Amino acid sequence: MKHKKKWNRAMITGICIIAFFLAVAVLAPLIAPYDPNEMIRGYLPPSKEHILGTNDVGQDIFSEMIYGTRVSLYIGIFAACIVTGIGTVLALISGYFGGVADKVITAVTNVAMAVPGLPLTVLMVAYLEPGKWSLIISISVTAWTGTMRILRSRVQQLSQMPFIKSERALGVSPAVILYRHILPNVKDIILTRGALTVSSAMMTEAGLSFLGLGSVTEKSWGGVLHYAFFRNSILKNQVWWYLPPILCICVAVLGFMLAGYYGQRKKA
Amino acid sequence: MSMLCRHILRRTAIAVLTVYLIITISFILVHVMPGDPVIHLVGQEEYYYLLDNDPVYLERQIERYGLNESLPVQYIKYLKSIATLDFGTAYANQKPVTENVLKASGWTLMLSVPTWLLGGLMGAVLGVLAGWKPGKRFDKIMTPFFLVINTIPANCLSLIFLMFFSYRLKLFPINGMVSAGTEGIGRLFSILTHMCLPLFILILFRTAGDFMLMKSAVSQIREEEYVLTARSKGIPGKHLLFIHVMKNAMVPYLTSFLMQMGSLLSGSMIVEVIFGWKGMGMLMYNAVQNRDFPTAQLCFLISAVCVVASSLLSDIVNAAIDPRIRTGDVYET
Repeated sequence: MKHKKKWNRAMITGICIIAFFLAVAVLAPLIAPYDPNEMIRGYLPPSKEHILGTNDVGQDIFSEMIYGTRVSLYIGIFAACIVTGIGTVLALISGYFGGVADKVITAVTNVAMAVPGLPLTVLMVAYLEPGKWSLIISISVTAWTGTMRILRSRVQQLSQMPFIKSERALGVSPAVILYRHILPNVKDIILTRGALTVSSAMMTEAGLSFLGLGSVTEKSWGGVLHYAFFRNSILKNQVWWYLPPILCICVAVLGFMLAGYYGQRKKA
Repeated sequence: MSMLCRHILRRTAIAVLTVYLIITISFILVHVMPGDPVIHLVGQEEYYYLLDNDPVYLERQIERYGLNESLPVQYIKYLKSIATLDFGTAYANQKPVTENVLKASGWTLMLSVPTWLLGGLMGAVLGVLAGWKPGKRFDKIMTPFFLVINTIPANCLSLIFLMFFSYRLKLFPINGMVSAGTEGIGRLFSILTHMCLPLFILILFRTAGDFMLMKSAVSQIREEEYVLTARSKGIPGKHLLFIHVMKNAMVPYLTSFLMQMGSLLSGSMIVEVIFGWKGMGMLMYNAVQNRDFPTAQLCFLISAVCVVASSLLSDIVNAAIDPRIRTGDVYET
């Protein structure tokens, strides 16, 4: 790839962080010493058997964290896929065709932007049954507007370029133009926006699970933090319980941010 | 001037329509979700329990929310209750929902107004300094710092601060808004010490966001040709910055600054929950936890109205100060 030389240290750091967490998520059953749902004995401090001790109902916190990686990344990545997918499709349609389609899509975008994000998400999660997918859906509902607006203006610019105009004049079908000629030109924006969306989706997820709106059976990092906070681990000074989820969330979000933000800057 | 008036009228009409749409969406959210709406209202487990043990109570709940009527009738009733701001009484304390929300919003504004103003001011000043000389030492220190702040979720930073400043150093109280049994000056002082930490965190996040905005605006404008021309004419740096660059950088900044008014009531939910601040965010959180949907819905609607109103305001102010928008040169919806 010819972009390879433009990769900078920040971006590589970001990609390394992402790769590390992905590996942990995939290999979770091999790494985790215990089943995260197995109840052993409550409130054990860290020891050789339990590196990070156990929580209020006696689950091994280290194993919980390992499996939590899966849940957190799953929600972050799938939410980002949906958000980027919706944003891209709408941006291509409205940016390329213009006219009525553009008017309608822009109007919908404006309404979606007027809806306050976190309150709607909280409300929706409460209505839906708790679980990974209700979190993903609630996060995606309002988050696609940013990607859509950025891409739309780029697609509009591209549609005015001579090579696209001449293809239109030749009668090439819109599907081919969009897929073969416009999409490759906005690929970089899609990828960087996608990475940034993963980081913001993971932040939202951490907030929602922290508020106790996540899935009960499959705890994400935010979920672990929820129990740590509401079982007063801060007052009891159980550092091994509340610090690991905080660190994991921050580092993972930072990883996707670095990959996205610096990727964007280099290629702009 | 008539162009400006027409612009404002058009935008106001769109804003009213948007609010109406959001109200309708929030109705649909309750009634079109799969399953009986009463399940959402009382909770699934509770529903099956009541169905077996206390069908009369369930019947009363259905009546209370008017769920036995046809959808259009329910919709009209719902609109009427919003128009008259009558949302019934809250389960939690048997007071009118509207009264609870008003009280909570006062507490939230105590946190969010200083955040909005101070964060906006500090972000702007620091952003200008960093953006005016990109790559210099100030920029190199501040930009990564605020970037990292931007990536830390609010709940994580709050917990770290809580652990460090309240628990270890015992500088600030751990939870709540005011110590019991204090009055007059003592009460005021107590509130101030309680709000120190949440306020600091909120201001830090806001400054980080605003810093990025201002920095990118200034560093883009300083590359423009007219700035180069002015510079080559020998206009001194300070004059150039304050007269030529700031004038243009302030337009996008002011827009987003006014837009931030929209989150005055809903922007601090997580911080409020962590610090036990009984504001709008806490109210909505508790309402959702206790399945008190009228309260949750009112909180949601108020936040949505705020967002729409502030974006309308920023639009009008923008049109008033930027002649290009007024005359329709850069008219974009």
